[in-house]
Amino acid sequence: MEVTLKIFRYNPESGKKPHYEKYTVEAEPTDRVLDLLEYIKGNFDGTLSFRRSCAHGICGSDAMRINGQNRLACKLLVKDLHGAQITVEPILGLRVIKDLIVDMEPFFENYRSVLPYLINDEPAPKKERLQSPEERERFDDTTKCILCACCTTSCPSFWVNEKYVGPAAIVTAHRFIFDSRDRGAAERLKILSGQFGVYRCHTIFNCTTACPREIEVTQAIGEVKKAIGTGSLE
Amino acid sequence: MALKRNVGLKGIKYRGGGPMLAWALHRISGLAIVLFVGLHVISSFFMQQLGSDIATALNTVYESIYFQFIVIFIVLFHALNGLRVIILDLWPQLIKFQREATWLQWLIFIPTYGMTVTIMILNQLQGG
Ligand code: HEM
Ligand code: SF4
Ligand code: SF4
Ligand code: FES
Repeated sequence: MEVTLKIFRYNPESGKKPHYEKYTVEAEPTDRVLDLLEYIKGNFDGTLSFRRSCAHGICGSDAMRINGQNRLACKLLVKDLHGAQITVEPILGLRVIKDLIVDMEPFFENYRSVLPYLINDEPAPKKERLQSPEERERFDDTTKCILCACCTTSCPSFWVNEKYVGPAAIVTAHRFIFDSRDRGAAERLKILSGQFGVYRCHTIFNCTTACPREIEVTQAIGEVKKAIGTGSLE
Repeated sequence: MALKRNVGLKGIKYRGGGPMLAWALHRISGLAIVLFVGLHVISSFFMQQLGSDIATALNTVYESIYFQFIVIFIVLFHALNGLRVIILDLWPQLIKFQREATWLQWLIFIPTYGMTVTIMILNQLQGG
């Protein structure tokens, strides 16, 4: 089948304004959008710029807005877009550096602000810090995050203010807050109860819809809100 | 030079679907209620204190049945959607039933609004 890709283009060195460029390519229904981008870069215009690494939905590099929704280009098949025209744009709320590449720094700054690592000063046991299957299950969903930013850059609260820590950072905070081996919950909850924390979330669900790992993002945020409200991790 | 951070209208075009629409309507309806209540207060004030033509005109708008249809729609939507948000905030374990919650919200909305409008129309016909 023949599909037309309408791609957002911006080259800071050309002095030209951002614009859209159309490319018509031959595609298999089972091709991924990333395959088409690679094809265009290889055959039509080598300057087309986008991030990708694993091409298998695990590194989180290639989040982009495809037909108006945040997706990983490497996980989205042409046949699932139901149409011969595909619009590809950079994710929203971060500065565009070139074409589909955005400046992820504000996103990672938010991520770092929630202390995304195990905090436990107690002396380590000889073998390992034991945890029951149930205790492990408690935060299983939020361990799946690949930091692709699909969620945070789909969130209207983040669009309004990039200082809002955003769903991705809260997902990671959740992953440690509800980990029985971690001792930093109180500190993280204090950070997230601040001006740019969880209360910027208005339960809009864009993040959950956008997450390519199918994490229940809004639920994780809800659980953190509740932990702050009740002061308990139950 | 990277482009400036600029979401603007592009945000409105983001395809967030039903849940995003519910949020946008909630915000718009919240502001609309503030306007209605404001209008109500102002028109009552004019009526009582001045009894002028402006007051009569405002009251005619405010009391017209079509205006009331819209007001009831907006207030009922805001109230039910607000309750959904409150319930999901209080019991986050229910968030996985978000879709069902939205269905339920409209399941309550449609008969409630339908009944209210029917009664209003019947009253109007009886010159109520
Ligand atoms: C009838 C009962 C009502 C309920 C259950 C209710 C519930 C809510 C809730 C839960 C929110 C927060 C939504 C969010 O987190 O985004 C909210 C926002 C708001 N409400 Fe209400 N509300 C009610 C009546 C009213 C009235 C009477 C007014 C105006 C006088 C009003 C004006 C607003 C405004 C302006 C907002 C901000 C919009 C936003 O944050 O998106 N509400 N309401
Ligand atoms: S549920 Fe909260 S974090 Fe997710 S998109 Fe909505 S406002 Fe943003
Ligand atoms: S929660 Fe999902 S959408 Fe957000 S960064 Fe992690 S994997 Fe991506
Ligand atoms: S290229 Fe790694 S997630 Fe898509």
